[in-house]
Amino acid sequence: MSDDIKKYLDGLLQKVSGLYVIQITDRDGVPLLRVSQEKNVDFALMPSFIPTFTTACDQASKLGLGRNKTIISMYSNYQVVQMNKLPLILTFVGAENCNTGHILALEHQVDGYLEDIKQAVTEA
Amino acid sequence: MDYVHSVWSYLASICNCWQCTEDPGAQPNEPNERTHLLVDPVNHSPALRRSNSDGLSTDYAHSLPKKDDQNALSRLVQNTAINMINVGAMDCHSLEHQEYADRIRLYSQRLHQQWNNGQHASIAPKGLLKDVPSHQFYLSKPIHPDDTAQIKLFTEKAHISVSAIQIDHKEAVVVPFRIP
Repeated sequence: MSDDIKKYLDGLLQKVSGLYVIQITDRDGVPLLRVSQEKNVDFALMPSFIPTFTTACDQASKLGLGRNKTIISMYSNYQVVQMNKLPLILTFVGAENCNTGHILALEHQVDGYLEDIKQAVTEA
Repeated sequence: MDYVHSVWSYLASICNCWQCTEDPGAQPNEPNERTHLLVDPVNHSPALRRSNSDGLSTDYAHSLPKKDDQNALSRLVQNTAINMINVGAMDCHSLEHQEYADRIRLYSQRLHQQWNNGQHASIAPKGLLKDVPSHQFYLSKPIHPDDTAQIKLFTEKAHISVSAIQIDHKEAVVVPFRIP
């Protein structure tokens, strides 16, 4: 079953040109599932990167712009799209010229799978 | 002497009368020339009242900090802490390496357990025949040659009519905008 989901996420990864990583973690950045293209992204930064998103999301909600759901960060070589699916965090890493709209559209295609994965975190 | 006494009593009665006529006209709450500006300043002076030690605790009980006040204060502090944007707090959420590894193991264990139990109905592939209760029955039945021939005929007709569609344009396809 785990392989099925990985295959599905791999399929999504191939659908969007320039998308390197799809990762599902808990709110502390502990990975539950991760698919990636072989080269590219340096994962060394990832564990500290994701909890920062959680905190940033919480703090950003206080700015008076309402509750925050997604943060898109653009860098010189990469773009990172992080979605708040508490207790899970969905992270996409793509090339800087990757179509961000396509990445955002993947949200609904992954949603159905997240319900099952959420149970593993909430039981913990 | 009697005359003087009678005059005195007469004057006294007139004075009483004046008092009587004056009082009913004046409302008790309305300020007039005899109203004190400070309401009984001697009795209400805190300096004098403080000398009465018995009354102190009862009179100033409302100004002493009570439990409700402390609760309200702590709630206020808590709300302020919640509403404050604290960028410094972002560094606090780093897991120990050991805990990180433990959690990865725990999660993968749980996921395997969950998926092996077969509780993943939501991710079953959705087919075209999902509404048909026993699709195996219908799919295994042989198709009658007449039905096949009819479907083939319809398909061919549809194909011919689609390929016969032509657009006969009478005006210029590219319309120039009349920009001055």
